[in-house]
Amino acid sequence: MTAAGVRSSPPGAVPAPLAGRPAVASLRLAWLYLRSRRVPVALGLLAGLGALLGVALHWRWNVAGGAAAQALIPLTIETGAAAVIAVTTHGPFGDPERATGRWLPWLRLAAAVALTAAAFGALAAGAAGGILPGGTLVLLRNLAGMTGTGLLSAAALGGAFGWTGPMAYWLATESVLAAHWTTPWIWPARPPHDRGAAICAALVFTAGVVAVTLLGARDAGRRTAPE
Amino acid sequence: MTATTEAPVRHRTPRARGVVLPPAARLLRIELRRSTMPWILPVIAALFWFDSYRFGAGTPPYWVLRTFWNMGQGRTFMDFAPFVAGVAAWIGSRDGRRRTADLVAGAVWPRWGAQLVAWAAAAIWAVGGYLVFVCVMFAVYAHQQSLQGSPPWWWVAVGAAAVTAFTAAGFAVGAFFPSRFAAPVAAFGAFLAVIVSSQNGFGDTSGWPLILPNNANGNYQPISGIFYPYLPDLPIARIMFLAGIAVAALGLLGLPARAGGAWLRRAAVVVTMAGLAAAGTASVLVRTARLTPHGMVIPALHDAANDRPIRYTPVCGHAAGVPVCLNPAYRRYLAEVAADLRPVLAEVAGLPGAPVRVAQVAGRYASGMFEDQVDQAGVWVTISGSPPVLQLPLDVFNTLPSATPGSAGQFDQELPLLSVHEFVAGSGGGTAAQQAVQAALLAHGGIPFAAQPQALEIFGLPNWAGEDLLGLAPAGGPSPSPRGPVYAAARRFAGLPAAARHAWLAAHLAALRSGQLTLGQLP
Repeated sequence: MTAAGVRSSPPGAVPAPLAGRPAVASLRLAWLYLRSRRVPVALGLLAGLGALLGVALHWRWNVAGGAAAQALIPLTIETGAAAVIAVTTHGPFGDPERATGRWLPWLRLAAAVALTAAAFGALAAGAAGGILPGGTLVLLRNLAGMTGTGLLSAAALGGAFGWTGPMAYWLATESVLAAHWTTPWIWPARPPHDRGAAICAALVFTAGVVAVTLLGARDAGRRTAPE
Repeated sequence: MTATTEAPVRHRTPRARGVVLPPAARLLRIELRRSTMPWILPVIAALFWFDSYRFGAGTPPYWVLRTFWNMGQGRTFMDFAPFVAGVAAWIGSRDGRRRTADLVAGAVWPRWGAQLVAWAAAAIWAVGGYLVFVCVMFAVYAHQQSLQGSPPWWWVAVGAAAVTAFTAAGFAVGAFFPSRFAAPVAAFGAFLAVIVSSQNGFGDTSGWPLILPNNANGNYQPISGIFYPYLPDLPIARIMFLAGIAVAALGLLGLPARAGGAWLRRAAVVVTMAGLAAAGTASVLVRTARLTPHGMVIPALHDAANDRPIRYTPVCGHAAGVPVCLNPAYRRYLAEVAADLRPVLAEVAGLPGAPVRVAQVAGRYASGMFEDQVDQAGVWVTISGSPPVLQLPLDVFNTLPSATPGSAGQFDQELPLLSVHEFVAGSGGGTAAQQAVQAALLAHGGIPFAAQPQALEIFGLPNWAGEDLLGLAPAGGPSPSPRGPVYAAARRFAGLPAAARHAWLAAHLAALRSGQLTLGQLP
């Protein structure tokens, strides 16, 4: 058997002169990375969550309770967005990718930050049609902090289970809201201009991004996620 | 190569096997061993400790109060629901994610059967974890503080059914939408459902919201497990509803063409319809629920045997020669109650209508949540019967002392205040003369005049307390303090010698109670 009969490139392959250009190669690498992480699907889900937030605010979906309870639906949707971002860290290739991809940490960093920005944009756009409790700054603070919990849990438990961090954090927050705690580590319970809460959320986000950038999700080469 | 031919052939002795498991059991064992569900249990355990156990630990030592947050309002299964739904979705999406659906479609076992076994393994881990966590929590409660009453086992069963239902729903999401995002989407859906259900179920006291497993309205009263058994009507309906959802979700898995043969798919249709019918029937049944003094009754599910009160031998003490008897579950409050009533009972001893016995009775709950009962109707004590008995619904008091030092302060004021008011004025706000006599008796019963305005502002007192406060301390100053004609008459009456006060009350009590006396007629 020889390769003599093979004359055409596989579908979708980039012509050799184009692939040789560094810019095109970088773009292609980024695109392949994003596809391997199902980022397009994630963007669709984030857009859907933004629309859901818009519908919830426009039609004034709400839950019974006091001022803290009024923010539950937006916070729940922000939790969903953080969970989606965390799951995109799951890589399907493991060791081969880790061994050959020297740009991998930068790609992970860029994807995490860009997806967080996209989630913020989608949710802020969705919230534009109604009155978001706390305003856009609170949205940014809560989303960033919860994304941090998701990225941290992805680094600890595996990308496929990164969603558990935001969910656990929000369930704990919900009971803390009922108990009227004031710790800044429960930032969704703090007022919009609370500096301590903003710092805590930023710290958690930074820790999550650093962990995913340097280590990757737990199943990205070091250990296979449980199936 | 001769070594192979020359080497002696060694036959391995077959290993003795005790029991040969049927194929389904073998498959289940394999699924149990490779299930992802146990991996999530440590996360749930941490959340369970923080959310369910810790936040319930500060309440009075009664099973019904200690478990109100985590069982009555369903926090235990809320801590499980998003995680088991998400992980079940991950398990359910396995064939799709690995592109092995075609491969397993050709196996001996129908795909639906294999899916059911995979789900069963996940559900066994999830429900097993739930039951273990709840039992450990109960054991810790019981060991640390010897809780009174009985554990709410029906609510444990509801929680187990809810965990099963979320596992089945999550598995179905994963099976139909196999992707890495199936798990977070299923978890998010479960999360949204429990949050909205928890918050909205909190406020609805009738109709379909009663089916929500975290709605504590009307079926988790402080007398449950102490004076009356927990009524199982609502838990039975909820289990039916949740089991119906689980069965319907599992039945859906058998509907696609690749699930199995024609007869199997027909069976799946029947299973799905049966599940929907069970859930629908339960939803209809709860609409017939009505609130009784000791819980929510659904006529079609009600067993009259559950209406019988729990028999007990009261524990008794004495206050000014009057026996004070409480339910043994409230034994810890006996000394406090007797001490609070002693000066009051000494003041009224021998007067017509004075109680000759103090007995604890079960509170009657006319509204959904017992907190609302205190908020809307207030706490009532009554004097009734012949000979008269002072009846105390201690379970309704929201000022019962806890282990915290100083927590008895409000209770020490509320109990004499309610008792004296019932003796002098009955159920209404009372005339000015009644208010003055009440204030004077309380001053001798351990609540000085200066402290009475504060006592009349205790949260949970009936509406008459506001009228009495205005009579004793008219509004206008920066802080309420006794003044005005009622206060002057009360001081005058309180200043009489005890014998003279007692003699005047013996002669004029009937007229005073009927509202015929004015302030000017007081001595």
